[in-house]
Amino acid sequence: MRTARRFLLALGFIPAWAPAAHAAPRPLRDVSGVIETFRAFVVHQITQAPQKPKPATLGPAPAGGPTVDLGDLSQPEAVERAVRRAVPAPGPETQVTVPNGQARLGDFTIGSAETVTGHLLVLKGDANVYGRLLGNLVTVDGDVFVHPGGVVSGDILALRGDVKDEGGEIGGEVRTLSAPTRTGATVALSPLAAFGRNVAGVVGVFLTLLALGVGLVTFARPNLEVVSDTVSHSFGRSFMTGLVGQILILPTFGMLIVGLILSVAGILLLPFAVVVYVLLAILGVVGGYLSVAHAIGETYTRRRMAQGAALGSPNSYRYLVAGLTGLFVLWAAWAVFGWVPVAGEIVRAAAVLVTWLMATAGLGAALLSRAGVRESFAGRLIPPEALTDEYLWATPQFGVPAVRRPESGPGTRPGTRHDAGR
Amino acid sequence: MRAAAAGVALVCWAGALSAQTMRPFGTFRQLHGESRLHARLDFAAGRLRVVAGRAGELYRMALAYDADRFVPLSSYDPARGAATLGVESVGGPGLRVVSRHQLEQDAVVELSPKADLALDVSLGAVDADLDLGGVRLSELRLEAGASRSVVRFSQPNPIRCRTADISAGAAEVSILKLGNSRCDQVRVEGGIGRMTLDFGGAWTGSERAELSLAVTELRLRLPRKVGIRITMDRLLARFDPNGLVRRGDAWVSPGYDQAAQHLDLVLTTTVGGVRIDWTD
Repeated sequence: MRTARRFLLALGFIPAWAPAAHAAPRPLRDVSGVIETFRAFVVHQITQAPQKPKPATLGPAPAGGPTVDLGDLSQPEAVERAVRRAVPAPGPETQVTVPNGQARLGDFTIGSAETVTGHLLVLKGDANVYGRLLGNLVTVDGDVFVHPGGVVSGDILALRGDVKDEGGEIGGEVRTLSAPTRTGATVALSPLAAFGRNVAGVVGVFLTLLALGVGLVTFARPNLEVVSDTVSHSFGRSFMTGLVGQILILPTFGMLIVGLILSVAGILLLPFAVVVYVLLAILGVVGGYLSVAHAIGETYTRRRMAQGAALGSPNSYRYLVAGLTGLFVLWAAWAVFGWVPVAGEIVRAAAVLVTWLMATAGLGAALLSRAGVRESFAGRLIPPEALTDEYLWATPQFGVPAVRRPESGPGTRPGTRHDAGR
Repeated sequence: MRAAAAGVALVCWAGALSAQTMRPFGTFRQLHGESRLHARLDFAAGRLRVVAGRAGELYRMALAYDADRFVPLSSYDPARGAATLGVESVGGPGLRVVSRHQLEQDAVVELSPKADLALDVSLGAVDADLDLGGVRLSELRLEAGASRSVVRFSQPNPIRCRTADISAGAAEVSILKLGNSRCDQVRVEGGIGRMTLDFGGAWTGSERAELSLAVTELRLRLPRKVGIRITMDRLLARFDPNGLVRRGDAWVSPGYDQAAQHLDLVLTTTVGGVRIDWTD
């Protein structure tokens, strides 16, 4: 047993070493050729097909026993199923009835002076036809050779075998049905591999977005905050605007192209305009998505602080990390459970839907606020005071019973001193 | 530990079970003096290639099909001289593409160069290349669903072809060297898509083509040596005569009356465009 293991281990090293020898000088190549031949021989000895059974005639089964009808071979898969059902493990003792025909085990030859009448089923062996077969011929795990002068009047079907027409006469149709082969491009990943790939993908996208977000906060924080506030205070309007924006993004692009083409000078600007337009569209969607993440993180952080949680420094970086983490929860769930049938697809669909919703709202907010330039939009629905950071301190702005506000006369503004001018 | 290892192995094995499998299938029939063949090719999804076959065979097909969803078609009716080849979805006729893997099916069909061939092709989501040069085509009918099909007549047809009926749904169809087809009448119906009709080749007689197109970009490649006459009924379609001159309600090529062979095109188009290129 130990020797066998060592031998197999050595065999495993041979293919790893042999390719390197191809680039080697000729003596080494010769050596590698010898080794390759030896390896092929050993592998052949280990993996060679099982020995063909000794030729034998399979007797007919008793009444009600297994039967294979070879009268119609136009449905090869059906014939294969019938044979497998009737003769799951062919052996010398197997009995099977072939209506109007016979069954053989192992190689079978029809001599040049012979005529076999009726259908012929050959299991685990080749069929060599030198003479005449008046009927259909089916082989399972074997080839058919129709030699010069040989005649098969009916159809031929080779299941997991081949048909070699070497100059004989075949009256009917020839069919070969091979074993299924797995295509490399279509092999599904195992759950473990799928899990690893999905997690890597989700983490990669998360880190990329995080890096973009950090850059956005660093270099365009005011714009990001305005877009974020727009999403917070006008989510529905932002979403509808984003939806319309998505619908119009291609027609607008087409109009831009046509307009530039029609104007003579514009043609020169066409390549730049295309690049700029595409970049703006990407920036709108990605920046909008990050703004939504910022808004979610800000809302979450403020709520925690309102509940008395002590947080280090509530700033845009923290908002962004918290929001992106929240948005990626569904994607993380998909990465972990994506391999589960049905449920994995549902989680992925939910993640896609939520991502699209947020990106659409973000795009809409970016459009409404003119990429964060138009500050007044977000403040249109609520007073500017609400956009300040005052209530980060968890102090209610109105109706505090413990504090008696100074009496104010009509027309006086809050904060105006009553004793002014006294 | 063993249980964990077994669990991992089971999970990996379950993944392997879901892998896609293709199954090779081959069929052929020897030629036993048949002078005619009515071949019907049904191909729901995948890649299809049709070429002229070997002299001693009536037909041959090498197919790799998705055994989970399709079954191979292979039958021959000696009384009618009719063969049916291709793949059919397990649930019966019709096209239901549920996986992009189905598009990886592949078939090569060879048809006898000896027998007069009436070819009837029905394509679903197929990338098809039909080279009919070298076969004795007596009749052609092509239904292209959502396919990208190229029909080429790379060699002159040894016999006269009565009709070529081509019907395209949402497809991209190119028919090249139609002059080699020797078809007396060509009928084309186009839905949505793009179509190229190349009337080049070795002309031996006149032809008539009826084109009925809905929303199709049509590119006509016309030989200068043949007299061209186009009668057009168009609604919103663009048309650039590109050298054709107006005569009555038709457009004709210069020297139409002197040409030995004529091509009469009756074109009905709704939306799209008709572009004409000249070939020598």
